[in-house]
Amino acid sequence: MNFFKKLNYLILTTSIILASCSSDDDAIQNLSGENNLTIEFDNSFNGDDLLLGTSTYVNGNNETLTINRFNYIVSNFVLIDAEGNEYTYPKDAGYFVISEEEEMTEVMLQNITAGEYVSVRFGVGVDREKYLQGAAGQGDFLQVAEETNMMWSWQAGYKFLNFEGSFTSPTVSTATDFKIHMGSHGSSLDNYKEVTVNFPTAALVSDALSPVVHFEVDANKILDGNTKILLSEKAVVMVDEVKSPQIAVNTTGMFRVDHVHNGENIDH
Amino acid sequence: MKNYSFLILVLTMGFYALAETGKMNPRDPEINPFYKYDYEDCDFCGCGSTGGGMGYGTVGNENFIGLRYIYQSYRSRDGIFNNSPWVEEHFNTLQLWTKLPITEKLSLTALAPYQFHNREFNDGRTQDISGLGDVSLLAFYTLVKPKMDGMYANQQTKYKHSLEVGAGIKLPVGAYDRANNEGSVNPSFQLGTGSWDYIGAVNYSIGYKNWGLGVMSTYTLKTENKKEYHFGDQFTYGLNLSKVYNTLKVDRIIPFVGLSGEVYQENESFGLPVADTAGSVLFGRLGTEISIKKISAGVNLMLPVTQNLNDGGVEARFRLGLHLNYTL
Repeated sequence: MNFFKKLNYLILTTSIILASCSSDDDAIQNLSGENNLTIEFDNSFNGDDLLLGTSTYVNGNNETLTINRFNYIVSNFVLIDAEGNEYTYPKDAGYFVISEEEEMTEVMLQNITAGEYVSVRFGVGVDREKYLQGAAGQGDFLQVAEETNMMWSWQAGYKFLNFEGSFTSPTVSTATDFKIHMGSHGSSLDNYKEVTVNFPTAALVSDALSPVVHFEVDANKILDGNTKILLSEKAVVMVDEVKSPQIAVNTTGMFRVDHVHNGENIDH
Repeated sequence: MKNYSFLILVLTMGFYALAETGKMNPRDPEINPFYKYDYEDCDFCGCGSTGGGMGYGTVGNENFIGLRYIYQSYRSRDGIFNNSPWVEEHFNTLQLWTKLPITEKLSLTALAPYQFHNREFNDGRTQDISGLGDVSLLAFYTLVKPKMDGMYANQQTKYKHSLEVGAGIKLPVGAYDRANNEGSVNPSFQLGTGSWDYIGAVNYSIGYKNWGLGVMSTYTLKTENKKEYHFGDQFTYGLNLSKVYNTLKVDRIIPFVGLSGEVYQENESFGLPVADTAGSVLFGRLGTEISIKKISAGVNLMLPVTQNLNDGGVEARFRLGLHLNYTL
């Protein structure tokens, strides 16, 4: 019995074992049916978890913020698969308030057609078309928005973003309240914006698979985004023809997908 | 806290043993106790980056059957942020292990672990999992065998070396629960990988007088499990320096120091890569083994030198191994 003979046996045995347990069919090729796709909006501030009231955050404008409210509206979700096909979520069910204080941080899109989705496009705020359907056309969403401080009044419209707290800066040494309420105003200012975000790995939907797409939402981008918005210049921004559109653009930069969980009945 | 006092006790004993051995003179310097730290590698928790890396064998024994206890301490992030809370993780493994001779050059190594793991979340919740882990079977073949010294000078060599190659299989005995892979905490909190994994190993060692130097590496090829999760392949390497002391009361005392590294490939879920699951860690290692007649006992401590596991989401703190073997 020489070494090579033994080695042959070993290789033979290993090959048999390897061959006998070929892997299952690739999951991606067998996606059929429909299921839920959950989007988790994990609110943060420049890489730190966003904690209301208790933590202070320093932004790039050298202002120190304590955040007491961080609410925003997301809407009109469109899921895009690897081939570029789009799945548009029904508009009637397509408006959601994300609210840190109310712990409303999940959007569950129901009955999504099976697929390998690689990105999502959605709106921040409420589009004009929806608003023009009148109060009756808003369905339950109107009440949700009222209860979460996301409306000025029906005539004045929705707040797309409600970001409140207090701040100090090199020129403002005592803590001063700030309020950033951004939305569309009448016919002069349409601040509804769409954003497209790519997934780092595909989200797989099928009868057996209901993924969770985990967003990291960075509230720092509101003031410290494309345009630098100084609270020391103006601490309450609501109807402002210059700053409000800048904040709307900054807000679209908050969204990034950190990771995707694929699987069934995920306890996230 | 309990764990730390235990660790300190063991360390004290270890250093005491080292200090004692320093005073001893080798009983018989003619005897060249050629030994090596065999069969480096592999996962105790059964999966991913929480592999124990304490080896398939021991320092001195050629063929044995024994019991080994391994404790591993980790912490991992519960969340995706810089200020996300840490989860404290304790991995305990009780392992039956053996190395059995088949022929003069061929041996069989088998490891059968029982795992009892625990983790504590920041909010006070805890999670426990326990049960059998993955069983490993390896065949080792000796390519270069050290020559025994004869009576005459021309039958004696200063340096003795040995080379072994091994191949084996890890069976999916340990339970794999996909739910433990979800969330943002350590994906390796499992009893087993749930997959059929294949192992290749090479061990080289060289002895000079009472000194031994061992170099070892292992590659574990992991496959997709039934739940369509695929732990990344694992490469383990190590270097060990040991010295044998012989005394009248204790046959052999073998303290050793070394380095042990582990490299992990990215995990895959449903055929898609899972972000932040690759990584590597390098441990410094310190330990000693004591043999009296057919019984040998050992202690082995591993402390991380550098690490980058799961993009910083998992931190290895230390590992402690204790074993009691009966030489066959």
